[in-house]
Amino acid sequence: MIEAQGLTKVYGDKTAVGGVNFTVQAGQVTGFLGPNGAGKSTTMRMIMGLDTPTAGTVTVNGEPFARHVAPLREIGALLDAKAVHTSRSAYNHLLAMAATHSIPKKRVHEVIEMTGLADVARKKVKGFSLGMGQRLGIAAALLGDPQTIILDEPVNGLDPEGVVWVRNLVKFLASEGRTVFLSSHLMSEMALTADHLIVIGRGKIIADAPIKDIITGKGQSRTRVRTDRPDQLMHALAGAGVSVEVQDYELLEVKGLDPRQIARTALDHQVMVYELTPLQASLEEAYMELTKDEVEYHSLITTGAPVPAQSGGNQS
Amino acid sequence: MSSTTLDSTPSRRGAHTANGADSGGAGRPAGAGIGPGPTFLRVLNSEFIKFRTLLSTLILLASTAVVMVGFGALSAWGTGQFADAAASDPQAAEAMAAQGGDLAVTVPTSGIAFAQLILGSLGVLLMSSEFTTGMARSTFAAVPKRIPAFIAKLVVVMVSAFVLTAVSTYVAGLVSVPILDNYGLKLDLGSSQSVKLLLVNSAYVAAVAAIGMALGTLIRNSAGGIMSLVGMFFVAPIAFQLIPGDFFVEARKYLPGNTINPLTAVEHVPDTLEVWQAALVLGAWVLVPVVLAMVLLKKRDV
Repeated sequence: MIEAQGLTKVYGDKTAVGGVNFTVQAGQVTGFLGPNGAGKSTTMRMIMGLDTPTAGTVTVNGEPFARHVAPLREIGALLDAKAVHTSRSAYNHLLAMAATHSIPKKRVHEVIEMTGLADVARKKVKGFSLGMGQRLGIAAALLGDPQTIILDEPVNGLDPEGVVWVRNLVKFLASEGRTVFLSSHLMSEMALTADHLIVIGRGKIIADAPIKDIITGKGQSRTRVRTDRPDQLMHALAGAGVSVEVQDYELLEVKGLDPRQIARTALDHQVMVYELTPLQASLEEAYMELTKDEVEYHSLITTGAPVPAQSGGNQS
Repeated sequence: MSSTTLDSTPSRRGAHTANGADSGGAGRPAGAGIGPGPTFLRVLNSEFIKFRTLLSTLILLASTAVVMVGFGALSAWGTGQFADAAASDPQAAEAMAAQGGDLAVTVPTSGIAFAQLILGSLGVLLMSSEFTTGMARSTFAAVPKRIPAFIAKLVVVMVSAFVLTAVSTYVAGLVSVPILDNYGLKLDLGSSQSVKLLLVNSAYVAAVAAIGMALGTLIRNSAGGIMSLVGMFFVAPIAFQLIPGDFFVEARKYLPGNTINPLTAVEHVPDTLEVWQAALVLGAWVLVPVVLAMVLLKKRDV
């Protein structure tokens, strides 16, 4: 279990993490979702004791990371795929890490096999692709067989097979009762992997809820309804917190009621309904909605933006 | 692939209950939290593995040995030539006879300035590369108290610098003996002065390597660290000599690179530090940056 209380990190006049509170529970995959620059990596470095919080505390299993007797056996972390001296081989890197905790060579070979690095383990990390670097980082994280696993953007640079492998691995680790904390800026990845989601934007926690609640709650459930008497149904459904939109001929979109309530109302008013489709807001939509005000870097190129007169010269 | 991967994880975790807050060990998977942690000897072993698994480190060590032995041989030949030239001049011969032994005894350590430069730079590199490559994040995640990792690395750096300098000096001596013999000069590697020169010079190089490592920790940048070291040991003594004024004449004696002469001199040379003073000054030049490096390493973000 990871617990952050009032966790704050200020660099100069810039607040990277602004007094966040959250708890990461054991036995499930907790996603840490936020746009680039939202404070995910800073938070994770503070958990690992690499950065000192400006204010607040963060503990792992009740203790600050540095107080644990055997840190690598307590938490394994992939913070940066390139947290390696690139002139050393993957095997020697893991061997040196393992030596600090007297972890046997057998375990080094085990994590190398587990992460599919056997063929390249004796090669210098310099020549590794981003994906192989990620695998080495994951191997290092698993070295101490830790109860808590922290992975910062683990699927970055992985091939599709690697992405599926990470997804299955973290789910398996959580199923064994471990605490798994996984960051990403890709909501689609989180929708497939995480059980619980903590969303961060500009150093603040925006949402902290089970993934199901985030998908259905924040995005508001909508239902598509086709009926031969849309006007009559619209009147019947009207009420507080309900909005009905005419989308097409005989096609309505209803917000604020679930399909069962809509069907009951239609039945009561003797209106025939020939389609009733619940439309789940995708996590992506929910995420965009959550973070639209929190993104630090908006792209400057927007469609339909007026083109300055002088730059038009390039085209002629 | 994923299924075979997952199967290779030990299945003994099945009985685990999801009570992560209980750090007493009950209900937690075997090996988590209760397993052995980073003792100093383990961290030392880890740092030694890191030291010997970098090709660049081994190349620097090998080139130090080659330079030391090469300069020893070259110096033996040059000293012999000088002795020959002196032999035809009766007056010089008398002077030679008076201190002939002293002339040969410094031959094995002729390359010490280069050993100091290379191994001092190695000291810088071993720590600065931790930061430039990002390895520091792995190192200090494994040893979050940080200071044990620093001291372990310091031990590895100093011991290897000492041993390498001592062995290279001895081999340089072995190579020099027959060369000097050709010119009728005797070099006794077992004499107390030879042994003293070997030990003092090796300890001096180890001290320079320690200063280098402290600079690498403070500056966290390879080029900056090496430039600072070169500035301290090679530029400052010359600059201090060029600047007129009694202050610089006096201060010059206290520069780290100028402590080696009083330490190795047979008799005290006027206008230099006493042996004990030189040892204290060099000690301070090591201790201050090392302590500062430890304090800041503990305090700063990695």
